Amino acid sequence: MEPDAQLVQQCIRGDGAAWEELVRRHTRRIYNLCYRFTSQRQEAEDLSQEVFLRVYKTLPSYRSQYGAFGTWVTSVTRNLLIDHYRRTRRDRLTDSMEDVMPQVEQKEAAGRRPDHSAAVVELSMHLQKALAKISPDLREAVILRDLEGLDYREIQQVLEVPEGTVKSRINRGRIELARVLDQMGVRPN
Amino acid sequence: MNWNCEDVEEKLSEYLEGELAPADEAACAAHIAGCEKCRELSATVRGLIGAMHALEPIAAPVRLAPAILVRTLGPKEDLRGWRAWFGWLRPVWQPRIAYGALTVMLTVVVLSQALGIQWRRPTLADLNPVNLYHSADRQAHLVYARGAKFFGDLRVVYEIESRLQPSEPEPQPKKAPEAQPSSPGKSEGPSGKPLDLNRAGFGRGYQTRAASILWLVPARSIR
Repeated sequence: MEPDAQLVQQCIRGDGAAWEELVRRHTRRIYNLCYRFTSQRQEAEDLSQEVFLRVYKTLPSYRSQYGAFGTWVTSVTRNLLIDHYRRTRRDRLTDSMEDVMPQVEQKEAAGRRPDHSAAVVELSMHLQKALAKISPDLREAVILRDLEGLDYREIQQVLEVPEGTVKSRINRGRIELARVLDQMGVRPN
Repeated sequence: MNWNCEDVEEKLSEYLEGELAPADEAACAAHIAGCEKCRELSATVRGLIGAMHALEPIAAPVRLAPAILVRTLGPKEDLRGWRAWFGWLRPVWQPRIAYGALTVMLTVVVLSQALGIQWRRPTLADLNPVNLYHSADRQAHLVYARGAKFFGDLRVVYEIESRLQPSEPEPQPKKAPEAQPSSPGKSEGPSGKPLDLNRAGFGRGYQTRAASILWLVPARSIR
């Protein structure tokens, strides 16, 4: 499998197949990031498209020595999500996600033991609700660390803040999330 | 050092991920063991981290990637006519494929020459392994013999050259006054200029002729 940096160079030279491969590799991760942040399926889809559109336009500015392509795309996504959050702050309806989430989670959990999948779906639903209730700074830190699995160094690159701040935000985010879940009567094991 | 609830809350993630220094870890553990509130918080956060790590990524909608490609690369070409028939050949036109095909063709030509296969009048006997072996063996010996002869000829040319050329440059004769008669060893031409009949000049002409003859010899003599 060709590395991302090589595919980027091919894209810059006009190779459409290389771009197709990059989109195929990163779509799911970017969609997850958008969905976990916005809690809206349609919004996540639209934002994912915007992310790739922006990445495609600014592809020549990517330099592999400054970090992995995946981290760079995550950084672009994060900036777009923050822009989107600020833009939609006033007209956001925090509880509008309830009718959307169960469909998504149930589809993902298909093929497992019924009791296990039901518990996972329920926890994921509650977690998504709780994520929507904590501040965006803490939310993005927790998503990047615990749901996207980035290490501290990568999160530092994406958020452009010192490592101490990254650790502090992750810690406070987790505690906030645990308290919100506690208030909801959910106890993750 | 004794930790309080605020200390534990501030360093809880680092404690749970095992990133605290041993002394801090011991202090944190001691406080958690004795504080009901912190013990509960620690257990909840530990469970939360485990649950989040266990969650699998959500599948992206099937239409998402094609939609991204349409927005970035434009809609896919709707091929019609002969393009629809030969559309699957598009990847073949890439330079690397053409270069690879050319390399393969050249390799086949070189190998077939070496194996003595007659492409104009091919026969089944050409593919007989015994014939292939004999042809390859003959070609190898021919190439070796030509190479050996070439280097032998070079040696002869070098020998002739070294014998004809003077070992040391001759001292330049001093310029004679115009009134004096021409020096011995040189005769005058019709125009009055002295003819260059010394050894070095004669050697150069002879050497050129010898070399031209020897270059022509190998091809004829081998056949």
